Amino acid sequence: MLSQFGIMFLFILTAFAFIGGILLFGKLLRPDRPTEEKLTTYESGEEPVGNAGVQFNPRFYVVALVFVLFDVELVLLFPWATVFGQPTLIAETGGLWGWFALTEAVVFVVILALGLAYAWAKGYLDWEKPQPQLPTVATKVPTTLYEQVNERYKRPTTP
Amino acid sequence: MTFQTYDCLQMLPIILLSLSGIALLFLGFQKSRALLLPATLLFLVIAFVANFLDWGKTYMYFRDMLLVNNLAMIFTGVVLLSTFMVVSLSGSLADDEDAQPAEYYAILLFSLVGAIMMIGFENLIMLFVGVEILSVAMYILTGSDKRNLRSNEAALKYFLMGAFATGILLFGIALLYGATGSFVLSGIGNYAHSATNAGGSMLLFYVGMFMLLIGMLFKVSAAPFHFWTPDVYDGAPSLFTAYMSTVVKTAGFAALLRILSVSFSGVYDFWWVAMAVVTVLTLLIGNITAVYQASFKRMMAYSSISHAGYLLIGLVGLSQASKPAIAFYSLAYSLSTIAAFGVLMLVARNRPLNAAVFGDQTTLARTDEHYDAFNGLARKNPLLGFVMAVSMLSLAGIPLTAGFWGKFMVFSAAADRGAVWLLVVAVLMSAVGIYYYFRVVIAMYFREGQTDTIRVAPFYRIVLIAATVLTLALGLLPNLFQGLI
Amino acid sequence: MQPNDVAVNIPEVIQQIPLNYYLIFSTALFVIGIIGVLTRRNAIIIFMSIELMLNAVNTLLIAFSSYRSDPTGQVFVFFIMAVAAAEVSVGLAIIVMIYRNIRTIDVGVLNKLKW
Repeated sequence: MLSQFGIMFLFILTAFAFIGGILLFGKLLRPDRPTEEKLTTYESGEEPVGNAGVQFNPRFYVVALVFVLFDVELVLLFPWATVFGQPTLIAETGGLWGWFALTEAVVFVVILALGLAYAWAKGYLDWEKPQPQLPTVATKVPTTLYEQVNERYKRPTTP
Repeated sequence: MTFQTYDCLQMLPIILLSLSGIALLFLGFQKSRALLLPATLLFLVIAFVANFLDWGKTYMYFRDMLLVNNLAMIFTGVVLLSTFMVVSLSGSLADDEDAQPAEYYAILLFSLVGAIMMIGFENLIMLFVGVEILSVAMYILTGSDKRNLRSNEAALKYFLMGAFATGILLFGIALLYGATGSFVLSGIGNYAHSATNAGGSMLLFYVGMFMLLIGMLFKVSAAPFHFWTPDVYDGAPSLFTAYMSTVVKTAGFAALLRILSVSFSGVYDFWWVAMAVVTVLTLLIGNITAVYQASFKRMMAYSSISHAGYLLIGLVGLSQASKPAIAFYSLAYSLSTIAAFGVLMLVARNRPLNAAVFGDQTTLARTDEHYDAFNGLARKNPLLGFVMAVSMLSLAGIPLTAGFWGKFMVFSAAADRGAVWLLVVAVLMSAVGIYYYFRVVIAMYFREGQTDTIRVAPFYRIVLIAATVLTLALGLLPNLFQGLI
Repeated sequence: MQPNDVAVNIPEVIQQIPLNYYLIFSTALFVIGIIGVLTRRNAIIIFMSIELMLNAVNTLLIAFSSYRSDPTGQVFVFFIMAVAAAEVSVGLAIIVMIYRNIRTIDVGVLNKLKW
């Protein structure tokens, strides 16, 4: 007789065997005619641009860091919640327990919130928009002239 | 089930330091940085006073999580005093454009919370949380010189090694929990007492105990787990090196003392040989490698390893007498080390950048911290020379300084246990220590150098003088301190 | 076998496997972590190995905790998770700081400090 974990093990084995079998089956059946288009990376139907291993903006990283911290610290609220609702403790203290436990949780969350406020006030959460630099050319021709030319030969806007 | 709401009110230092750390962070938004240093010092003084409010009583706080008794208060006092001195030597941070003094001070105060938890823990959860608060703060401060590659490297090394040690420490705690079913120190101690009498397999317990000890020895940089120490102490900014080598070491030894005396005293016969071997290794490696250093700062790193060895002697000769001995030694060591680093920072700031290193890469630019920097110092700056000389004498353990009595008390605690061969090694190594500590003194007094008169800020001067006077006073009247315990 | 039986009591489910297996499993995880720390040269991978060590400890603590019907061990796991997150952020910040300065995170390149 298999134990429950034995069944799990059989299940895992079957899954691997099944996937392997399907892939092998497909390999045997399908025609194999690769072209360059077929081998390119699929990028939502667009032409892929650049390297896949590009660097992410470090700003993502700062936000992620702040998120991870606040996210994980909240794990400590789960044990708190089990104690908070215990009927025996509430009955013993005449209802005071709830307020006591709530205050403690509030203190905890407020300290975390102060940390967030600090990061915010320091400007780590600001998402700086890129400032596009307009190219400037050193020429005697005043810019208004260009604008007049552009205005005259403007392409008719499509309705 | 009763819960005492007055509990928290008496745990003042921890709460005060946490709150004042947060307050300092927000004080940092002010344009002027002038307020930060006095505010930090004020907070430290308040915490210092609050620490001794419960003098003479023994309390267990937060449902047997933290213990406060006289010994814990003394260790906390030593730690707070060291921090006070380190912070008061940090005046130049306010002028440094790249520095973030508000954050540094806040992190220092937060890390003190960790240190206090390590000093008074009764539950291994508190030990772990305390160690981590202290260590994580130290990783940040080590790397606080962001553009300096040496500081970066030191931070990464410290972080990787420290996290590794934490892993080992935790595995040890988990095994101890598996063996004894308790995280409480006295619960583990009871198990150790009863299980040794009952016989049977204690493999889980012993493996857990040794992994826990290895993790802690990592943190206090005892050989063979010391290899990160020189690099980290060398790379970190001098101010934070001074903090690391005093506060972290004091807290680490207080924690080791607590866990060995409460939990593992029942199996003393089992661990004392291992600890004695570690002690001898630490003494040999620390002292002999220190001789070959060209950089004063790196010598101080090895010197801190060797002092970890002397403190370990107090642990090997574990008895009632070794508790005040270790506290006294920590105080003596902290005073002299901070004074020495204070002089080093002044000297290094007044030297041109080290050309050999400077030429390599601009990010490597660093001040000159070699022995040669001290050449002829005492002629133009008799005060700095004297401060440095006294702290070197104290570190070497010359009579009439606090260091001598520290060594004396630790050694006599071990002698009571009959570990004579250990003492022979220790005394020999102290003699080696005299050689490298005196190199600085000789450089200051007997070598020619082109040192100018160094301008010392009045408060900086007062702190240096106070450290020297305390070192001498404790050396002349050690009973002053002994009477306290 | 009713599906409900499984979900009723998690400690009982955990106890269906002998304690020694948990011990061996977490020790194996822990040793893999140690080997990773000692042999790898990429700071991020070393870092992941350290996390593996911590998770080995968590597994062990939970196993002991449910075998002893004592919730303290699980509370410790919560602390380890929370503290490890704080440690991770600091560690990653250090790694990013180094990457900005020298454009690599190979620990072998960091050899400016030698005795």
